[in-house]
Amino acid sequence: MKLANWFRRKKLETGLERELRYHLDRRISDLERSGLPTGEARRTAMLEFGGFTQIQEEVRDIWLARWLRDFLYDVRFSARSFLRNPSFTITAVLSLMLGIGATTAIYSLVDQVLLHALPVHQPERLVLIDWKGDQVANGFGSWNLMSYPICRDLDQQKQVFDGVFCRALTTINLSSGGDYRAATAEIVSGNYFSVLGVGPALGQVLTSDDDAKPNTNAVAVISYDFWKTQLGGASDVVGRKVLVNHHPLTVIGVAAATFRGIDVGEVPSLWIPASMSTAIIPGLKDLHDRRTRWMQVLGRLPQGMTLRKAQAGLQPWFKAMLKEDMRRAGFPVITPERLQTYLNSSLVLTAAPQGHSGLRRRLLEPLWVLFALTVVLLGLACLNVSGLFLARGSARDREVGTRLALGASRGRLGRQLLADSLLIGLAGGVLGTAAAPLAVQALIAFLPRDNAGTALRASIDSRLLLFALAASVTAGILSGLAPAWQSGRRSLVSSLRERGGTALGGVRLRKAIVTAQVALTLTLLAGATLFIRTLDALMEKGPGFVTSGLVSFGIDCQRSGYSEEQGNQVIRRIDEAIRHSAIVQSSAVARFALLTGGSWNNPMTILAGKRFSTEGRDINLNAVTPGFFQTMGIRIIAGRNFDERDISAPGESGWRSAIVNEAFVKRYLGGRNPLGVRICQGSGPDARPNVEIVGVMSDISYRGLRERSEQAYFPLGGEGAATFYVRVRGKPESSFQSLREIVRGIDPTLPLNNLRTVDQQVDRSLNTEHMLASLTGSFSALALLLSLVGLYGVMSFVVTQRTREIGIRLALGATRGTAIWLVLRDALVMLLIGIGIGVPFVLALGRLVESQLYDVKPSDPAVIAIAVLLLFSAGLGAALIPAHRASSVNPTEALRFE
Amino acid sequence: MTSRFPIPQGTLDMLILQIVSLEPIHGYGIAQRLEQISRSVVQVNQGSLYPALHRLEQKGWLKAEWKQSETGREAKFYSLTACGRTQLVAEKESWARLAGAVRLIFNEGTRS
Repeated sequence: MKLANWFRRKKLETGLERELRYHLDRRISDLERSGLPTGEARRTAMLEFGGFTQIQEEVRDIWLARWLRDFLYDVRFSARSFLRNPSFTITAVLSLMLGIGATTAIYSLVDQVLLHALPVHQPERLVLIDWKGDQVANGFGSWNLMSYPICRDLDQQKQVFDGVFCRALTTINLSSGGDYRAATAEIVSGNYFSVLGVGPALGQVLTSDDDAKPNTNAVAVISYDFWKTQLGGASDVVGRKVLVNHHPLTVIGVAAATFRGIDVGEVPSLWIPASMSTAIIPGLKDLHDRRTRWMQVLGRLPQGMTLRKAQAGLQPWFKAMLKEDMRRAGFPVITPERLQTYLNSSLVLTAAPQGHSGLRRRLLEPLWVLFALTVVLLGLACLNVSGLFLARGSARDREVGTRLALGASRGRLGRQLLADSLLIGLAGGVLGTAAAPLAVQALIAFLPRDNAGTALRASIDSRLLLFALAASVTAGILSGLAPAWQSGRRSLVSSLRERGGTALGGVRLRKAIVTAQVALTLTLLAGATLFIRTLDALMEKGPGFVTSGLVSFGIDCQRSGYSEEQGNQVIRRIDEAIRHSAIVQSSAVARFALLTGGSWNNPMTILAGKRFSTEGRDINLNAVTPGFFQTMGIRIIAGRNFDERDISAPGESGWRSAIVNEAFVKRYLGGRNPLGVRICQGSGPDARPNVEIVGVMSDISYRGLRERSEQAYFPLGGEGAATFYVRVRGKPESSFQSLREIVRGIDPTLPLNNLRTVDQQVDRSLNTEHMLASLTGSFSALALLLSLVGLYGVMSFVVTQRTREIGIRLALGATRGTAIWLVLRDALVMLLIGIGIGVPFVLALGRLVESQLYDVKPSDPAVIAIAVLLLFSAGLGAALIPAHRASSVNPTEALRFE
Repeated sequence: MTSRFPIPQGTLDMLILQIVSLEPIHGYGIAQRLEQISRSVVQVNQGSLYPALHRLEQKGWLKAEWKQSETGREAKFYSLTACGRTQLVAEKESWARLAGAVRLIFNEGTRS
């Protein structure tokens, strides 16, 4: 009745309004009749009555208070009945705990990585500005790169932006007095903090003045975390000097505590004005070069400006700038087609309230996939609890029937059910949320420690709590839906008349629930099979070289204050020392590390009979010492390895020779002898193909295990930075100390970056695949468990209910086999229908995850067959137990029981 | 309105039950009855009648139905339920007992 009040609230409200109105109108007309003027009468009546809305409020409070009191009473009643039935309660609460815990844990990552807006002033007005087309510039860095001068130009477009800043992440060699270590820094334009609206926690932040003249303002702002953890939160930190790549910078302030940069996966230790970047970043020659794109550009839109309007407002200026830029000195000679692409370029704005992040880009799809799967898991858990409620409901059928007969309203019973399910939902939610931080911790462990490990947190904040609460309430209500529907259909007479328990409808509903569980479980199982096959195939394929016993680390001399030439000498000395070490089998040096996700790449021009370029498609490039192929176990298929013939004479620029991989030959030189063909970097008319192909190597993975790319290798020249690949004797990890000592013997301040085994590097490059495979694997195991429990439960119930019937059949001469078949048939029907519903789901959902897969199609019959077979056999196994019980029914006892 | 003597809640409930027990009656009618009966003694804020009516309805002592009133407009008429009737008897009884006890004490006071 009172529950009904709640849902019929609107009707109640209008009733109350009418009632009070009636009173007032009557009073006014009575007063008028007694001689008061109209206005006076109205005033008097209102005065006598008291506040109209106040009265309405009071009455509403009475409705609500009553409803709440009754509801609390119901909750107490539910709690008591749960405590009386602990096995039911534990199973139900555990089911929901698993579902809610998993969903909340994944949501925590979804929220942190994908959804959370930056803690800056009005983040919703931030946009990322990106160049669509061709910038005719060399890029270094990750994505959405533009040049520093373009950022300055954009900042002048005051009609469109409240401000535009640029930033680039860089790894630096940082010392704050003690040892040297690699750290992340953000190179930023001077207005970075003011456009974001971030202030200092101590001292001051960077301003445009700090960025005005090149290499004059040797200052930095440090992050709050760096200040607290590395500098002990010293109060006199402002004015201290830190060494960045061996350049002293003065700390002018500490950024606000909540601010951790604009990239969720890369938390910078400090911010450096862009004006200092040519001094600090090796290889960056001219900050104002428009042909070097290396920074992300973000802007703040004014209040009321839309993305579309801003984008349109930029185009006139942008088109003029393109033309002007073309006439500038240093604009390269390019083909007419490329020039056309350049002139057709446009600027694209996208909303960037969460900043810019490579981690988000990588995890976007995997995280949504996992979130969707946990929601399915939670749905399964709800179905499980529904089934349990129905089972308990049929046990309590007579109690409910009696209550109905004694005059309890159906609404009242419905509210009791609501209290039941909410209580279970909340209990599951509380436990699930308590377990969530552990789960998040485990999730974060899947990601590379150096970025995600420091940036992501396994703590519970208010947003997460809100999510968990919403999930618990929804789960509770969903779990209660089927029982509520069932109780609504129950007829009073039949439930009182029945002796054995429930009406047949209860069993039918429970069977429907188990069928739905089977379908959902199949989806999860198939998903897990796909991801496990993917990981398996990638591991099986491997990177194309022998990883065991291989150790790698990077050395960057220029970040330690060496000139390029000095750096090359240092690297040669280290290479020498390592090769003479007793623990080393062989070793080699490469300019760029493999399997890190990045590469040196460029289009190339090829002279093979005719001249053509790989325009639009970059070749992955590297430079290596002659020992590289042998150390890595890469086969030279044709031609020869590098030797002294390939070393450029002093003063000679460029390379003499190159070794390309099979994929290169296949794509560009199909059928022709690759040896002797001449190639070079670049695709413009001015490119001179004068590097001779002297060898062909087998294909290896460069950026990651998935790719198959065209590659070209040159003899190592130098640039003062390199990655060492060392094949060691014995356990690779035990060589770390010796390797460190070798480097320390040459220069004690030179840090070894990313010292790890190549096997570890392979694992790191497969971290999303690992995460997807293990999580979907465990989710589907849980799902399978939940639906087996459901199947077992309903089959046992059926057997109990049909004991008499089975007894009679056995007494009339049916065999034990018939009895088993009687039960198994039911289970088979549920399994088959569930699988029948599930397979189209698998096919439809599989398409959504296709880009995450490798060497397996979502519609692969083998995958679906494995999932179906697993589910089917496990399901039959679960049904066999009650079936066996049915077959061992003793006819005499079953009949006597009646 | 400043010199209003607030009527104790229990008393108001009892008075309402008493008035409703005579015949089905709408809120305005109850207010007028209260006005007539108690004009010189207590003044009832007319608005405060309605929370009391709804509380009694929630408790199941009153039931209500929309009917045509004497002016021809629809009004919500309250009447006593069986429960309410029992409650009224009980309240009258306990009131009488209380009043008797108070009188007894006052008499005692004058005697000594």
